Parts: sequence; structure tokens; C-alpha cells
Amino acid sequence: MLGEFEQLVLLAILRVEDDAYGVTIRHAIVEESRRDVSLTAVYKTLTRLEEKGFVIARVGEPTPERGGRRKRYYALSAPGKRALRQSIDVVRRMARGLGLGLEPS
Amino acid sequence: MKGVFVPPRGALWLLRHLLPVTEREVFIGDLLEEGQIVRGRTGARAARRWFWHQSLVALLMLRRRRVISPTCQPAGDPRMLTFLGDLRHGLRLLRRAPAFTMLSVLTLALGIGATTAIFSVANPVLFEPLPYPHPERLVIVGERDADGTMTNLGFLTYRDFVRESRTIERGAAMGSWQVTLDDHGAPEVVAGQRVSASFFSVLGVHPAFGRDFNVDEDAPSTNSVVMLSHGLWQRRYGSDSSVVGHTISINGVPYVVAGVLPASYESVVAPGAEIWRVLGYDASLPYACRTCRHLRMIARMRPGVTPASAAIELSALSSRLVREYPKEYPAAGAIVQSLGDATTSTARPVLWAVLGASALVLLIATANVANLQLARAMRREEEFAIRAALGAGRARLTAQLLAEGLLLALAGGAAGLLVARLTLAILVARLPQTMPRLSAIGLDRTALLVGASITLLLGVAIGLVPAMRDGRGELGSTLRGGRRLTGGRRHLARAGLVVAEVALALMLLVGAGLLSRSLVRLMSVNTGFDANHLLTLQTQATGPKYADNNAVYLNHERVLAALRQLPGVRRAATVSQLPLGGNLDAYGVNAEDKPLANPELAPYADRYAVSPDYLGAMGIAVLRGRAFSEADNSDRAPLVVVVSAGLASRIWPGEDAIGKRVHIGGPNPPWRTVVGVVADVHQRALDASESSQFYVPERQWQFADNVVAVVVRTQSDPTALTRAARAAVQGVDPSQPVTAVATMEQVVATSTAQRRLALMLFGAFASLALVLAVAGIYGVLAGAVAERTREIGVRSALGATPGAILRMIMVQGMRLAVAGLAIGLVGALSLGRFLQSLLYGIDAADPLTLGGVALLLAGVALAACVLPAFRALGVDPITALRSD
Repeated sequence: MLGEFEQLVLLAILRVEDDAYGVTIRHAIVEESRRDVSLTAVYKTLTRLEEKGFVIARVGEPTPERGGRRKRYYALSAPGKRALRQSIDVVRRMARGLGLGLEPS
Repeated sequence: MKGVFVPPRGALWLLRHLLPVTEREVFIGDLLEEGQIVRGRTGARAARRWFWHQSLVALLMLRRRRVISPTCQPAGDPRMLTFLGDLRHGLRLLRRAPAFTMLSVLTLALGIGATTAIFSVANPVLFEPLPYPHPERLVIVGERDADGTMTNLGFLTYRDFVRESRTIERGAAMGSWQVTLDDHGAPEVVAGQRVSASFFSVLGVHPAFGRDFNVDEDAPSTNSVVMLSHGLWQRRYGSDSSVVGHTISINGVPYVVAGVLPASYESVVAPGAEIWRVLGYDASLPYACRTCRHLRMIARMRPGVTPASAAIELSALSSRLVREYPKEYPAAGAIVQSLGDATTSTARPVLWAVLGASALVLLIATANVANLQLARAMRREEEFAIRAALGAGRARLTAQLLAEGLLLALAGGAAGLLVARLTLAILVARLPQTMPRLSAIGLDRTALLVGASITLLLGVAIGLVPAMRDGRGELGSTLRGGRRLTGGRRHLARAGLVVAEVALALMLLVGAGLLSRSLVRLMSVNTGFDANHLLTLQTQATGPKYADNNAVYLNHERVLAALRQLPGVRRAATVSQLPLGGNLDAYGVNAEDKPLANPELAPYADRYAVSPDYLGAMGIAVLRGRAFSEADNSDRAPLVVVVSAGLASRIWPGEDAIGKRVHIGGPNPPWRTVVGVVADVHQRALDASESSQFYVPERQWQFADNVVAVVVRTQSDPTALTRAARAAVQGVDPSQPVTAVATMEQVVATSTAQRRLALMLFGAFASLALVLAVAGIYGVLAGAVAERTREIGVRSALGATPGAILRMIMVQGMRLAVAGLAIGLVGALSLGRFLQSLLYGIDAADPLTLGGVALLLAGVALAACVLPAFRALGVDPITALRSD
């Protein structure tokens, strides 16, 4: 079972597809969850997910607006996708029939 | 917003040096990219702040990744990384010694917390300027009395000063004004001031909304205009801004609200005032005369003028006025004081003393923790020796100890913040309401900064003390396993710290002793009345229905009749001012048979306009003649006066005062015949040396006192009657407010509030100091005994008697205590003069207090020595010799 924030990070990576690195991942989470998330929190979670083998990192090209520094791009691995699906399924099943308007439409 | 985001260099440096190498490049890159976005959205400053915030979070939270490639060197500034390592190591060590850590942190928290709390109380009075623009140009101006003291001034003198002075840019007169607000809810008594229209512009304060007073409103017919404090406006008028420009009812009369002051406005000159009314005097008013000295004057000097030069100019002006009106001034001269000094001078000695006391406690706490650290360092000799043998230089070891000291201090500082909050909450509730700048007290930025600086300083001190050690010689012997040669210099340091603790504790105890003996003496001063079983309250009969004097008198009589009906009430009376109640209402008394060329030089006496039974109800002894009776209230009764023994002997030394006639107050006062002489009472303060009083039946005085105190003599506990008495007064007139309900004993106690506060704090600090000092002595001795186990074993094996061993340990401890006592006595004697102004009837070098405290401390030190000494006796020679 994934932590809530881990879920958010994984979903964010899927959402921004090919352009998933620190800044874009954070933005995706901030936009949808409406809460202020520090870059550090994102990094810590990414590190943990990488150690668990749920995401794969690759170092990209340097860009000028980053003072010539390189980016690290992330993508979901196969176990990552599986874990995310299972985790969300659990939430769905738990919510079923409670009449809270939580049913998937 | 255009432009390039420039990251803060400091933050960037920290990130570059401290972030784990694996994260550094991408993380900083991401932050820079985002910084540019944030800058576009919120501006350059906000972006820099955001960058700092993000960096600090990252530095705290982002740990090294576990997977580090073998080729990767741990980068970053090695010194910084080492220090972080030291901190981490220190944290582990402290966690492993929880008892020691808790004790140290608690001790430091008490010291830091107490000092920070006291500092935040003292800061507004001692260090901060007044909360007005250019406060250094604000002064209080008064006339110089014949004895050189400062007195209030009459309106005409004020007018002449303002008109003719060149050093003063603007002046304002002010007098007190107690009012009852009687619309928008239940009647409420509020403290107010009557002020010149220029008052707020002298201070440099503008209303938050509405307008300032107009100059043309400052006249007798147009002065029904008021300014509200922000607090009053919120509380009573529900923050309704429409009240501005409309009328409110005060004492039954409508007043226009000109404006509301900002919430930040602090009434420094008249603490507690919530409403201001235009003074509205002109020369035609009878109470605007030169001898009607009931106004205070504040002024803003022109830039560059000092109070001294203003005083010279105004004194010259005053001399001219005295030549012109020789019978209306007691002496020539003006006194000009800076407003800051004048409003805070009375509270300064107490605050300095208490601040000093808290600093002493802080020193003792530091000494204690340093001592604990030293003891620990001695036990860790082996650890240090091994580290040194492995190549750790002295600097490395010192850095390690410094890190531990800083950690302890930081934890102590954090806990101290809680202590400070708590202490401050307790303190503020107990501070006397008369204390200047009360509302400015709080744990503000300055106080926190001071607390933080103290914390850092302590951290360094605590870290460096145990780092003192002997030369390298000991290294080898320590490693060889002998604990026989533990650092001599550290022993000396520990002994020195204990001596210092005893000395500091003695100083604090002496201070507490002197203050408590002063208070005992003060409370045994003969007040002149019987405060036992006496309830007092204040009431007010104001408004159109009391415009006639007779209506006020009738109201007072009905109130007294209602009170006398209550079960448990023996006598009741009204009086225009209560002794020690904080009022000042004095008049010059001129005797018919001792005419003075200048009537202003007549002795001043406190005026008490009373109902007939007042002297009896208060228990003021009649020494000669008679007290008043109902007969004095009749319309055709001759005018009579009762004087205090002090006043009688000042005017008629060696003569009988009874039957003499006097003039009191007013432009053309009638003659009054002295019919009685009574005991002196203390009006201003218990420690005021000299006071004179006169009493007149209230119906015989020139005007009726709308605000009076009521005194009720009860059969038993007066507090039981509080509710009934209040109801009885309001039963006479429901619109009549009842305030300041207190027993007379409480009134007396309140008049000594400042001393009580000082005593309470000194007492608390001294007890804390005593406990810490005892713990220090005990700790050192217990440590010494543990270290000398082998030696004691040898001694007893060689035939030393238990008595000899006991003596040896006791002497070691008492030597430290006696050295501390001697130094402490010298310190107490030299610091005593700072307490002098808080003492009463006792000398700062009072031998009884000094001796008593020294004995007490010696006894306590002896007790602290006994336990370790007996433990030494229990040492079994065989085990001792086998140990190591």
C-alpha cells in the first residue's frame, strides 16, 4: 500500500508524462491538491520511490534557466504502475456503498 | 514583472556545500527554475524569501542518499560537515544520558526563561524610547515649589508659558477626568483626561479615523468634543465607525465624538485613560487661576533644544510672572523633564533590581550546567584520550564539546521560551496597574533576540569550560588506566564555579531578605486609621440630576442610610478621597494669627470632605477637641475644620490649635474654626515621611464632590458584604456606578504593590538560586568522594579514624562554601546601594540580614556536605584498593 503523498507523486508523474522532473511534478500536485508542497517533500518521496523501484530516474540535458544545471526526469516502472493501481483500487473498494458520493462515476 | 531571478548567495552557498552530492545539481536547478516563476508572480523580494525558505527546509530534511557511488567523494566544506557531525554525535550522547540532559536543560530553561521574561517587562521602561515620533523632544513642564519639587500648574501659567516660550514648539495642558458613560449599555466608569486641543499634535499622534480636535473647540462653550481610544471604541461601541461625528452620552450630557485613536496608541502620560475631552478653559473661569494648580503640561521642544535649556528659558519667564503676581507663586522657577524619564523614573529602580536578580540567577544556572558538563568531561577522560591518541587535535575535541554545549543551550533556550511565556503571563497579571508602559510589555522581537543571544552565549560558555584541560602529559597515564590523575585544572574550575554559585546565591538571598524586612517594617507603620474590617468602594453621582450640590449631598445620605440598614454593618461614611487611594487633593492652609506675606507659602494639607461619622468609621483617633456631628450639617452651623496633629504642629508649634481660625482654598475663602485635632494618616504612601490633613463636613465645602469613596465598618469579614453593599448603593440610584470595591487592607497592600512585586521576584529567584547552589556543592563533593575512593580506602587501611575522614570531606566542602560566602558578602555590600531606594527603615548593609543569610547558606552548604561525607565513611578499604 502506498502512502497518500506517494500516490500523489506517482499520479503527477503520469500526468506530466515525458516532462516529469522536480518542478513539473510539484506544480502538478499543487494545482490539483491546492496545498503548498515544498520541493524538498517531493524529492524525499521521489528518492523513496526510487529505492522501492517504483520510479526510474534518468539525467537529462542542462538548460540555461537553471544556470546550466541538468534535470533528473522520472518515469513509472512496471512495479510502480502496479502498486499505484492496487493502492487506488483499495481506496475505491473501501469507499463503495458508503453513499458519500465517493463512487467512481 | 520582468527581470531575472537572482538567488540569495548565502542560501546558494549553503545548498552547494551541504546538500548531498547526488541531489545537489538537480535540486538547485529545480529551485532556480522555480525561483524565476515565483519572481514573476510575486516579485523579487518575495522570491528571495521563498528561495531561503525552500533552502532551509531542504537542508534540514534532505539526507544523504544511501547509495553513493564508490568514486564519489563526500563533497562540501569539510569543516562544516564535521561540525554537523559533531552536533549529531552530541545529540546521541545527550540522548544516552537522559538524567543529565534533562537536569541541564531544565536549569538552563529556568535561567533563560526568567531572564527573558523579566527583560520583556523591563524593556519598555528601561531601554525603549516612547512610542511617539521624536520622543526626545517631548517634555513635561511644571512649576518649582518652594522646596524645589515639581508641582502642577494653573491654566494662566500654562498659557503664558506656551505663548511666550521660544524653546517650546507646542504645548498642551491636561487634567484628569473621570466619567460615566451612560448610553450604549450599562453605565460604565472610564478613566479620561481633559486635554488642550493641541494635545495629540504635541505627541505627534493622528486619529485612526475621524479628526483631531480643533483649536476653536478649546473654549468653555464649545468643548463637548471627545476622542475615544481604540479599545473603548471596540468594547463599548462595537467597532461601529458611524459613532464618529455623532454624540454619545457622558455623565448625562451629549458629547460629539471627533475621532478614534489608532490601536497602537499608548497613553503613556496617563496610563489607563480611554477617553479624552477638549480642556476648553479660558481666563474667565474661576478654576483657571494661577493658584489653581491642577493641570499638567506636556510640550514638544523645537529641534535641537534640550530640556535644560528649555528649563532656563521657562525659569526666566517664571521669575517675571512672580514679579508680576507675587502673591500667586510660592517660588520662581520651572522644571522641565524629558517625558520618557518623567513617566518611567519611579519604576526604574525596581526593574533594574529585578533584572539584575534575574541575571544573577542566569549566572548561577550557567555555572551549574557548566559544572555538570565538567563532571561529565572528567568521566569521559578515557574517551578523549583515545580520540587524542587516534589523532584528534585539541581543536577537534574542543569543537566536539562546543557542539554539545550549544545543543544543551539550544534545548534550554527552546524550553526557556515556554518558561518565559508562562512567567510573563503570571507576572503581567500581578504588575501594579500604575506601572508605566504596561501595555507595551510582551515577548516581542527584541525580547526574543535577547533570549536567543543569551542562549548562544551560554552554549559557548558551557562548551568551553569543560574544554579546559591540562597539557598532553596526562594522555598516557589516562590510557594506562589510572583515574588517579584526573585533570587538576578542571577540579579548580569546578571549585571555582561552586564558589561563584554560593557567592551569587548569597547576594540574591540578601536582596530578598532586605526587601522582606523592609516590607514588614512598612506594614507595621502606623497608618493612623484602623484598616481591619473596613470595606471601601467608590461611587459617583454625576449628570444633570446632580447639577445641584444639595442633590449630591442627599444622594450620599441615602447611600449611607441604605448601607447602615445592612446586617453586619456598624458604621458607614463618605469621604472625598481615601488615604493611600492614589488621589492627590491638597490645599494651602492660612492661619488667621500667622499671616504670610505670600499666601502661596502656606503649608499644604490633604483635603477630606467627609460625612459626619467619617473619623469614627475610619477609627482615626481624636487627640484634642471633637469630631464632627450631624449638627455641623445644619444650614446655620458655624464653619468648622478638624486638623491632623502634623498640620497643627507645623502651623502652631507648641500652641493649642483648638479655636484658631484658618483660610482654606478659593479666591475669597471664609474663616473656619478648628474644633479638633486628630492623628496623622498616610495619604500618599506608607513611606512618605511627612503629611498634613484637614477634614471639613462635606456640606460646608465650596463645592460638592461628585466622586466619593464610601467606607463601611463591618462586624466581621468585610469581603462577605461586597455584593450587598454594591446592591445597596445602586438601589439608591441604578445609574450610579460602583467601582474600586476593596477592603481597606487591600487598598493599603496595593499602595505597596511595587515593593511586593520586587519581593516576590527576589524571593522566587533567591529560592531558585539556593537550590541550584546546594545542588552544585553536593555535586562537586559527591564527585570528589567518588574519585577519592581509593585514597580514602588507603587512608582507612592505614588507620585513619572515621572522624578524620569525615572531617577531611567536610572541610573540603566547607572551604568552598566559606570562600563563596566571603565573596558574596563583599558583592552584597557593593551591590546593596542599587537596592537602597526600595528599602524602608533598613540599611542595605544591615548586619542582621547579612549575618542571617550567611548563616542560613552556611547551614545549607553543611547539609550538602554531610551526605557525601558519610558515603566516604562507607568506603570498604578492601574494595577500594582492588578497584581499578
